[in-house]
Amino acid sequence: MKRFITAMAIGALALTAQANPAGTFRQAHEVGFGNASDVDPISKGRVFAITEKIMNRLVRPGMDGKPAPDLALSWSSNAAATEWTFKLRENVKFHNGKAFSSADAVYSLKRVLDPKIASPARGTVSMIKEVEAPDAKTLKLILTTPFADMPLVLTDYRLMMVPDGSGDTIKTTGIGTGPFKIEKLDPQGTTVLVANNDYFDGPPGVAKMEIIGIPDEQARFQALMGKQIDLMQGITRQQRQLLERSGSFSLNDIPTGNWRGIVFRTDTKPWDDPRVRRAVRMAVDRKAMVDLAAGGAGVIGCDTPVGPKDQYRSTKTCAQDIAGAKALLAEAGYPNGIDLELPVSTLQDVWPAMAEAFQQQVAPAGFRVKISQVPSDGYFNEIWMKRPVSMTRWNDRPADTSLNEVYRSTAKWNESFFKDTKFDAMLDAARAELNFDKRRAKYIEAQEYLWANSGTLVGFHATVITATTGRVKNLDLVENMGIRWHKITVD
Amino acid sequence: MFKLLLRRILLGGLTVAIVSLIIFGAVEMLPGDACTALLRQDAQGDTLRVCREELGLDKPATARYLYWMSGAVKGDFGMTAHRNKKVSELVGDRLKNSLLLGLCALAVGVPLAFALGIAAALKRDRWLDLTVSSIAIAAMTIPEFVSATLLILVFSGWLGWLPGIVTASANAPVSAFFPEIILPVVVLAMVMTAHILRTVRSSMLEVLDSDYVRMATLKGVPYRRMILRHVLPNALLPAINVVALTVAWLLGGVVVIETVFNYPGLGRLMVSAISDRDLGLVQAIALIVSTVYVLVNLSADILSLLANPRLRTSMARSR
Repeated sequence: MKRFITAMAIGALALTAQANPAGTFRQAHEVGFGNASDVDPISKGRVFAITEKIMNRLVRPGMDGKPAPDLALSWSSNAAATEWTFKLRENVKFHNGKAFSSADAVYSLKRVLDPKIASPARGTVSMIKEVEAPDAKTLKLILTTPFADMPLVLTDYRLMMVPDGSGDTIKTTGIGTGPFKIEKLDPQGTTVLVANNDYFDGPPGVAKMEIIGIPDEQARFQALMGKQIDLMQGITRQQRQLLERSGSFSLNDIPTGNWRGIVFRTDTKPWDDPRVRRAVRMAVDRKAMVDLAAGGAGVIGCDTPVGPKDQYRSTKTCAQDIAGAKALLAEAGYPNGIDLELPVSTLQDVWPAMAEAFQQQVAPAGFRVKISQVPSDGYFNEIWMKRPVSMTRWNDRPADTSLNEVYRSTAKWNESFFKDTKFDAMLDAARAELNFDKRRAKYIEAQEYLWANSGTLVGFHATVITATTGRVKNLDLVENMGIRWHKITVD
Repeated sequence: MFKLLLRRILLGGLTVAIVSLIIFGAVEMLPGDACTALLRQDAQGDTLRVCREELGLDKPATARYLYWMSGAVKGDFGMTAHRNKKVSELVGDRLKNSLLLGLCALAVGVPLAFALGIAAALKRDRWLDLTVSSIAIAAMTIPEFVSATLLILVFSGWLGWLPGIVTASANAPVSAFFPEIILPVVVLAMVMTAHILRTVRSSMLEVLDSDYVRMATLKGVPYRRMILRHVLPNALLPAINVVALTVAWLLGGVVVIETVFNYPGLGRLMVSAISDRDLGLVQAIALIVSTVYVLVNLSADILSLLANPRLRTSMARSR
């Protein structure tokens, strides 16, 4: 018995003991911005693979999809949800030794809002009217409209906290509060990060990180095969088989909010009739589509842009309904069916197969689809939002951002030209509702309204395959933006 | 002789000048300019005007050409489009890396190609010749990216002996590129060796079949002496030009290899400059690569002139 207790005690010690940071973790990034790559979190050329490890947000995406504390510990709002107060974490230090306070938070957010800086993240926080710091540990946001999910907005991966007044230098210094600090910055070569032992959540698991710029996708994969990097996100099914055969990699499917679809412009004939656009979407067999186009690596829904892991996602399912589609078409005055042209490029690898699946699936309902090949170069300038029907794709966004950016009457990228005041009012109501369950019901109602009326076919939300070498432990199996990098360890 | 050299050098200079005009003209003819390329959808009104003033695009084309060339002669190509680095600095590092890769490949490939080519020609139609020639044809016909991928798969993926991808930074010291540089060098040397080897072999055969060699044999010149004194000097001349072309190719034309191995060389910088729409950088690289081509060919011409008694004497006579 005594021996058993000793064993238990040693086991418990081993579990709780805080090991010193050890080993090197290596990851590649695609140098998407070439020479303009830097580590200013809100610039166009920010290298996210670096900023996410050296900086913190006020609020981070939690493992359950809900906002979780990062540099802000707690938050509350007034009854109208127009004023938000955030209590900031104490005893947090920047890499240069300076303490983090509300002045830094104010500065960081005001930078994003500054029209002169013209950050791509500016639109995300456009509801913020004023940023104030009542005391050193409190931040106050005053909004232009009621907004119940303000904390969720602050989980955006670009809204990182930087030191007060560091605007001119941050893109090369990368001074943040994160678990790692920059030892050598070289976005196009190898950037070296070292453990920040003063990190507020304890020292990180690995001592060193190398973030290597490898623009070519194939080269990145080869680096993984040769174990020169430890992690690669978004590998293909063929690559997966290769890695599985070698047996020394761990592979995980991670559902994301990235979706692929077909958009019908609701301001052009015949798609201006909600019955016609509903009919075409009813005729689609989503399960078969995701199987054909992405080998089943996707999650299907009922034309909601909200991702499968999002707390506000509508879980409604919809089976193919040819008879229903035909009836709707006849009712709308098209008993002989409709001819349409679908321009397809190879910009997204799944588009061509998706278009062909669509062509076959909707034919019995009376839609005669002609697929035309268009160049990838300039697709989003010349085809998308120009032709009556086109292929589309969107990256992950929180529910509210997604619904507003894609469907609100006034949205810049309202690709289906969906102008519906009733829908806009639903979004406003959801934003202003402070009770979570009621708010969720409102967002779901809005998504179901889209299923009945929208001009956007959301084929599926893509699932990405993430591969890591066997030596990597404790990697959070969530989307990139939510990974807690200080938790991982390497053997 | 001296006059001839001078003429060659002047001609080389003229070629570079004409190439610079063509590069400048081609970039001029593109729709838009460096500012519209850089600013994309923001290219309008004041932003565009300020950018043009900053880059000096409001001046006439001839003034800009002269300004560009006078800078280029001094090795100053201005700043990159994102205004964060000097073009010369960026290109300098990459040129150094391309040189390193090229020299390593040459050091391996040229001796190998000459040895194998000479051996194959001397053992004509025997098993050695057949093996060497068929391997050379295989190495020439398999595209580099295939052989590169296969080598990475075998040596990096399965055996784990060598790193498959270059992770060194562009400005890293030479030592940082070892052992990562080995696989790209092997691939380049393979392709290069095959090309040079075939030239060496066929010109050796040509000389071996010539009348003067037959004459020497009949006169009873010892085999070894005949090969060394009469065959090799005459046979290796054409190979100099092939080597020169290979050198030029190594410096600017190995984009595929650089991409597959993630090697920070000049070729990949050119591709990223094009996708970045950094016109100044594209112009600078194009000029540098073409200058290298001219220089290498010039030196090859001079070398073969010096090495070939017939060319020397015929020149002397025509004077």
